[in-house]
Amino acid sequence: MTVGREIKKKIGSVENTKKVTSAMQMVAASKMRRTQDRMHEARPYSNAIRAVIGHLANSSPEYRHQFMTEREVKRIGFIVVSTDKGQCGGLNTNMFRELLRELKSWEEQGIKADLALIGNKAASFFRSVGGNVVAAINGVGEVPEVETLVGSLKIMLDSFSDETIDRLDVVSNEFISSMQQRPQIRQLLPLVHSEDPDTTHQWDYIYEPEARDLIDGLVQRHVESQVYQSVVENTACEQAARMIAMKNATDNAENMIEELALLYNNARQAAITQEIAEIVGGAAAL
Amino acid sequence: MSNGKIVQVIGAVIDVEFDREEVPQVFDALKVVETGLTLEVQQQLGDGVVRTIALGSSEGLSRGLEVVNTEQPIAIPVGEETLGRIMDVLGTAIDEKGEINARIKQPIHRPAPTYEDQKGGNELLETGVKVIDLMCPFARGGKVGLFGGAGVGKTVTMLELIRNIAVEHSGLSVFAGVGERTREGNSFYYEMLEAGVLDKISLVFGQMNEPPGNRLRVALSGVTLAEQFRDEGRDVLLFIDNIYRYTLAGVEVSALLGRMPSAVGYQPNLAEDMGILQERITTTKTGSITSVQAIYVPADDLTDPSPATTFAHLDSTVTLNRAITDLGIYPAVDPLDSTSRQLDANIVGQEHYSVARNAQEVLQRYQELKDIIAILGMDELTEEDKALVYRARKLQQFFSQPMFVAEQFTGREGQYVTREDTVRSVKAILDGDVDDLPEQAFSMVGDIDSAREKAETMQVEA
Repeated sequence: MTVGREIKKKIGSVENTKKVTSAMQMVAASKMRRTQDRMHEARPYSNAIRAVIGHLANSSPEYRHQFMTEREVKRIGFIVVSTDKGQCGGLNTNMFRELLRELKSWEEQGIKADLALIGNKAASFFRSVGGNVVAAINGVGEVPEVETLVGSLKIMLDSFSDETIDRLDVVSNEFISSMQQRPQIRQLLPLVHSEDPDTTHQWDYIYEPEARDLIDGLVQRHVESQVYQSVVENTACEQAARMIAMKNATDNAENMIEELALLYNNARQAAITQEIAEIVGGAAAL
Repeated sequence: MSNGKIVQVIGAVIDVEFDREEVPQVFDALKVVETGLTLEVQQQLGDGVVRTIALGSSEGLSRGLEVVNTEQPIAIPVGEETLGRIMDVLGTAIDEKGEINARIKQPIHRPAPTYEDQKGGNELLETGVKVIDLMCPFARGGKVGLFGGAGVGKTVTMLELIRNIAVEHSGLSVFAGVGERTREGNSFYYEMLEAGVLDKISLVFGQMNEPPGNRLRVALSGVTLAEQFRDEGRDVLLFIDNIYRYTLAGVEVSALLGRMPSAVGYQPNLAEDMGILQERITTTKTGSITSVQAIYVPADDLTDPSPATTFAHLDSTVTLNRAITDLGIYPAVDPLDSTSRQLDANIVGQEHYSVARNAQEVLQRYQELKDIIAILGMDELTEEDKALVYRARKLQQFFSQPMFVAEQFTGREGQYVTREDTVRSVKAILDGDVDDLPEQAFSMVGDIDSAREKAETMQVEA
């Protein structure tokens, strides 16, 4: 029955795995609710500020902020938003694949990239594939604080200001539904022109106090809010993806246990039959 | 001298009574006068009665039939005259080419060479089969076991080894068919005839339709043939297909001989039976016997007493695995389960040794990761593990190889890959030099260059 014992041990280990994955599934399901709420709460503000900035970029005020002017791209920066933990299916992998494709197409034009990474997974990924990482933070948690994000952001903004990089993109996952997430790459700097149909005509604001102070502040807030929104959305994606991945894992484990149980019963029965045959044979031979 | 009389017939086991003063010795051959059937003495029961096994069909025998004692063990013709001929267990020609007029006849029961006469050797014998040369290299004068369950390709792999070793290395061979299919023996005969090497092979057959006595003794006949060539100072190859049938024939007569069945119903003297046969297959100072033995594994269970007792006698074990045939990979050699005493850095060289161990490590890790992949999916693996998994899968495919003897099945020409090419190719896979090639390019190819070629043609077709 050595075979039987081995199978039994394996069943035990798969059962333990199943316990862990089903617990993770339930935890992810309850967290998913809250992270989605947070994502929805942050959305109106970020949408509003994006609209304002869009208008600003379209308008021709007397003062143009540096972030608004398009330059020829010689070097590009990416802020990569990933998760800290794994066990969330292909969420990170798909995003990295998308990013690698993007990096490659820039590379072909002779343009190199700087990377600012948020989350452990991005850090470990780029440690193995290589890439010019200028900043990395992790442990932003499920309730991210703007202050913790600002640090890595600042490096990127500074290098945009001193013209080390000429374009800054944010890479993150877009939350479509609990079942579906999609990697997306959005341009952050220079500010994108709004393509809202109702803003085709020129907007002009009257600035009070001075345009410079106001616009500087506004642009700063905008960038922060965009990154914050990406992080919050990515967290929602993470929990949703984890729930699905863990559900699949639990199902797979269950199937495996069923198959192994069948194998075990087979082996057990074979051993019993053999023993009976031996005893009967031995008795008959006497 | 007076003749004996049959007193009891139970299947293949026959008791014969002789005069008390003239009891035959154990292993003496007796002959039933009326039918010409040969009996071999196994036990002396006392009172002049001996228990024998019939080397032939025992139908039609009756009590009281006269039996004559030949006063010597079964002797078969040996030496050069047997080359190109087929005989049965008793040394009778069965190829319808007339009698074998050998100058020498040797008894099939002989003592094994003494400690003093034996000689070990570590010279490698290249087989041209990638996975075997890499993982379980053969030694000239060594003993190789080919383990496998039903229908995993033992016989085909064995035929390929015969073709590669016997044809490419040219030398004398002895083929003993023990309890296997007559059809295979037949096709083997014609294949050797076609390859033009038949005049270098002696064949002895006791196939599955023959009585247990024949199957029990035919292995010894084969060994006796090989021993003669060895004692003449030659290097000889001995192929036995299949050792398990030898054990099985032993089981069939054991209980009838009055022995109590032991573990799993095998004869209690299983280890001794195996030892008597295996100890004779050795290389001596005069000449060498390199043996390749196919060993059936009942119910794919290697811990079964029969394969388990055979293991200890071998230098190299090549294990064929059903899980690998399920993937469509032939020869289905399990690289983790197959080992060889020759896989030693001092014998095969440091490069070969480390490549083989590396490959085993990678495949072992892949085995461990398989459960994780099955439950959590590929995405949960780290980048390093993913690369390792892809390499392991390529390696697994690369260990398949088109075989010469299977050309009519695969439609691909057989490939002979030298050991250096094998080591170089596997090293390239492990080092990640060919990470860019698709997995299918590694299936059924020769060395790494032909894998590259295949990848190119695949790209052109796509």
